Amino acid sequence: MKSIQHALDHAGIGLRLPHIAEVVATRPRTGFLEVHPENFLANPHAAEFLIELSRQYPISVHTVGISIGSTAGIDRSHLKRLRTLIEKIKPTLVSGHLAWSTYGNDYLNDLLPLPFNAESLCLVAAHVMEVQDFLGCPYLVENPSSYLGFLGSTMREAEFLSQLVEKTECKLLCDVSNAVVSARNMGYDEQEYIDSLPANAIAEFHLGGYTPQEDEANPGGELLIDSHAAPIADPAWELYAYAIRRFGLKPTLVEWDNNIPPLETLLAEATKADQIAIATEAHRVPTC
Amino acid sequence: MSPLAEVQALFRQAVVTGEKSRLVPLLSGGRYPAKRLAIHQRHYETSLVTALLGKFPATTWLTGTRFVTEAATRFVHNRVPQAPCIAEYGREFPMFLSSCRGAVRVPYLYDFAELEWQVGQLAIAVDEPPIGLAQLSTIAADALPETILALQPGISYLQVSWPVDELMKLYLNDGAPEHFSMEPLDVWLELRGARGEFHINRLNRAEYLFRTSILARRSIGDAAERALDVDAAFEPGHAWAALINEGLVTSITR
Repeated sequence: MKSIQHALDHAGIGLRLPHIAEVVATRPRTGFLEVHPENFLANPHAAEFLIELSRQYPISVHTVGISIGSTAGIDRSHLKRLRTLIEKIKPTLVSGHLAWSTYGNDYLNDLLPLPFNAESLCLVAAHVMEVQDFLGCPYLVENPSSYLGFLGSTMREAEFLSQLVEKTECKLLCDVSNAVVSARNMGYDEQEYIDSLPANAIAEFHLGGYTPQEDEANPGGELLIDSHAAPIADPAWELYAYAIRRFGLKPTLVEWDNNIPPLETLLAEATKADQIAIATEAHRVPTC
Repeated sequence: MSPLAEVQALFRQAVVTGEKSRLVPLLSGGRYPAKRLAIHQRHYETSLVTALLGKFPATTWLTGTRFVTEAATRFVHNRVPQAPCIAEYGREFPMFLSSCRGAVRVPYLYDFAELEWQVGQLAIAVDEPPIGLAQLSTIAADALPETILALQPGISYLQVSWPVDELMKLYLNDGAPEHFSMEPLDVWLELRGARGEFHINRLNRAEYLFRTSILARRSIGDAAERALDVDAAFEPGHAWAALINEGLVTSITR
């Protein structure tokens, strides 16, 4: 298994199906490869390539199908398939979303929002521990991109995540772009959000592109959609530097999942992340 | 039902059916949370329709983007995925498509879409090391009828009522002849795929019955009987030897 140090040296990129053959052939320099395991569990041909690449690159497994916020419970058959894959590729990092996507037997193919209150905290905490126990490894929880909230919420997202960490000792994946999207859509300050997260729990960063869209309810206004279909925008780069100053260097992933560009474009984004990380860390004063 | 379970039930209903009247009063965000909810509703529909269109490009070529997109849009609200691996979603789409209004003008639509679905699934398979004739020769002749063969994971068989394999070849070769006529014809197809490639072969009826029986883990003797029922001249020895020579057999069970 490749060590976490490799993943710290350079930003990682998402390994998406259109790029697999080129990555196998050219073996580009990147800190790690991130995969959505659901793309490989039903594709033995792609999984073969992934297993081969895992011998050279640290791998980050980022699931979209483990629904830790679902009252329907964790899909145990999916968890078993995931564990089988994890045993083969021995990832350095395993993570998922603070969201839900299943109801009964239905899989809704979206990361749906949760109210932040005692009931959802208890449920999510139980599921995080269940997943960690079953997989036999830490499960990082990613902050969501938000477009709406619930009147039944009794706490803010950062507080929810802090209490989740306290209850489960899990680690967090700080998606810096999601923090920008959520803050702008829900009307709070993104730097205050970063300041509210438990620093010792942050174990990974994500960066991805978002797409502005007109806010239909507010003519002239704008919503940000977490599209993963565009270059990373300046506010996300700025918040990334802010997050490094607060939390220190962490393995960083550049995500681009839709309108997938040439591999070299993705690698260029990762290089930019490296440059910002190096420049920021050089001037960082560690915080307690 | 707990408050959270009820919220999720209402959210599911809003996303899948569009009915949101009981959910919206529970939401916050912007001036009109219903508009924010529409982001999730649109993502559910758009992401799954896109996934389906990606799996049926040949069928889209055959019938047109509008027809398939409209059908896919209805499908995703009728058949919610039952697993997180969306690569496995769409198994029922050929049947659903062929029941749509307008499909009656393309009577071979189901056969063609089903062919496309199956080759798509097989092309991502990984083949296993095949066995050779030498392994089978270790079995006594009187034990052969009870022997069961396992076939490569990237094999399936399809019986269709139209020569849709010819139509698929047109699509794959980017061909557009001046005249192409589809007449009903019983066709028995063997589909093989692995590591990004696939092949479509025609079989005669006896071969088809023999090979589908083998795939279903029936013994060589059982499979031979089925084939001989339709063709007294069928030669089982040649048939199973052909399977092995073609690299299709991965293991033997006695």
